[in-house]
Amino acid sequence: MRLSEALRINSEPAGERERHAHLLCGFTPLHLETFAKACLRLRFPGEAIRLHTGLYGDLEGNIQRAAGQAGEGAIVVIEWSDLDQRLGLRASAGWSFRILEDILTQAAERCLRLEAHLAALARAMPVALVAPTLPLPPVTHLPPARTGVFELRLRAILLDFLRRVSEASAIRLVSAPSAGHDVKMDLETGFPYSLAHADELAQLSVRCLFPAPPKKGIITDLDQTLWKGILGDQGVDGISWSLEDRSQVHALYQQTLASLAESGVLVAIASKNDPELVEAAFKRPDILLKEDQVFPFEVSWGAKSEAISRVLKAWNIGADAVVFIDDSAMELGEVQEKFPGIECLRFPERDPAEVLALLRQLRERFGKDDIQEEDRLRLRSLRAAAIIEEERPAEVSLDFLSRLEAKITIEAAGPENTRAFELVNKTNQFNLNGKRFTEAEWKARFARPGNFLHAISYEDRFGPLGRIAVIGGYTEDARCVVDLWVMSCRAFSRHIEFQTLRRLFDRTGAGEIDFQFRPTERNKPTQSFFETFLPDPAKQNEIRLPLRTFEERCPPLFHEVTER
Amino acid sequence: MTEVRQKLAHCFSIAFPKMDPGDYATASAGNTAAWDSVAQVTLLSLIGEEFGVDIDFEQFEGATSFEAIAERLERSSASA
Repeated sequence: MRLSEALRINSEPAGERERHAHLLCGFTPLHLETFAKACLRLRFPGEAIRLHTGLYGDLEGNIQRAAGQAGEGAIVVIEWSDLDQRLGLRASAGWSFRILEDILTQAAERCLRLEAHLAALARAMPVALVAPTLPLPPVTHLPPARTGVFELRLRAILLDFLRRVSEASAIRLVSAPSAGHDVKMDLETGFPYSLAHADELAQLSVRCLFPAPPKKGIITDLDQTLWKGILGDQGVDGISWSLEDRSQVHALYQQTLASLAESGVLVAIASKNDPELVEAAFKRPDILLKEDQVFPFEVSWGAKSEAISRVLKAWNIGADAVVFIDDSAMELGEVQEKFPGIECLRFPERDPAEVLALLRQLRERFGKDDIQEEDRLRLRSLRAAAIIEEERPAEVSLDFLSRLEAKITIEAAGPENTRAFELVNKTNQFNLNGKRFTEAEWKARFARPGNFLHAISYEDRFGPLGRIAVIGGYTEDARCVVDLWVMSCRAFSRHIEFQTLRRLFDRTGAGEIDFQFRPTERNKPTQSFFETFLPDPAKQNEIRLPLRTFEERCPPLFHEVTER
Repeated sequence: MTEVRQKLAHCFSIAFPKMDPGDYATASAGNTAAWDSVAQVTLLSLIGEEFGVDIDFEQFEGATSFEAIAERLERSSASA
């Protein structure tokens, strides 16, 4: 982004919603502030961004002060001069070899203090931390072609500090490139970065601080994509993914998909091929993406868009949560036309550098902070759902549900429950009002008197689904208000939503529950659920459900419930 | 208006979005409240970006009006 574009974005009118964030550094924030604000405006369209900065040369104080203020996130940028002023260009206290030891001592002490201040800041809001990106000035007697003990010891102090702070969950280290140092600007204004570097740093920091919700699934083609060659022509032994066969890019692609599958990303195949040959190809012992990591296999000679349609149905998710990868521009075009929301990416098999860029792009789309139990269970539960689909009659019968041996666990959840936070921010279909939360907003909701948040886990004879629903709200006198309710689409048709309300009525003793409902484009299943109790819920902003109405219309429930 | 002044006016429209374009020619730090030291650096960086040049801060020392900046830009483009 050019500076002029960033300034134009920042001067556009914004809505009433104000989002406060901090940009904390020891230098003049100048253009970094402009770029960061523009990136935040683009990340949160229509919102007014209040980006608070601090005082020149006082990184420690800036962090301390921000920790006591409101904010939904902080970008902290450390440069060498923040560890010791003599490591910057604007100090002139001498670069004698006699001061080097003292610089190391000062840097180590400064790191300890910064660590304490950052920990306090991270308790108040999420933090994106940028480690020094500027080159070290020529402080030692060594020629620049050599790295000496001083630099190694200084970097060791820094790395040890970064390792310690990154162990705090709310601090994310920004993977920033080395700086384009604008020396003239540094000396004249106290702002050290080139415009290009300031832009890149701002983009990376904002992405790190407020990541977009990850996508959920990848659908991949096979021939010339998952492997080199045409299976139907060359046979199972003729296709390849190895250095020897000059097809290593396909091995890298396979191992990326396998790694993503391991972290809970859904992987499916959509290929125009012979199903028996595909089955045989996946039996090859050297294949890196294993058969059990893929579901479903949609292998036929029909249109790709039809295969994609069946995959989406099996996964029960929307096209906009999915990436489709194929080597054929025609196939990508056909799918894109049918599913405008799907992200279609071409597999550039002839250009290894582009393949590597594609793999990085996939990590960007599917990146997550940590891997949870539910990620491991997701694929297994989808397979189980497919079996249930085959076994059960067209309409869910009570007899079928009574034989599921279903168990529900309802547990009180706090702000540290990352699965609940993740579920609330990515669920679309069964979602009371579509509200999304930043980490700061999420923490803040627990401060409300009488608040509650319950996480619901489910398992039946087909296996566990893990934590699949979250319901939250507050009680006020005899009134119970639900302002948040989501349930994974994997858990539909099991009457878990009825059991959740049954238990909420019991727990709170409320005679009625108010739901802060808002119809969205995607929450039709939620609307359908409320239609059980009242006509046309989509026309209402708040739904009041009396216990009596619930009891009259709630179907028989067969779950064994544990409450914690 | 010369090409240099047109480009400079474009920079002013971004640096001072609330300023009336009719006021650009007479604008200076003295009569523009928003024209502080940060705005001066931003304006010079925009000029560098718009004209594709590496800004020499010394060259623009004391150039705190549209007219003064335009003159220095025209002088340097004539000598280039």
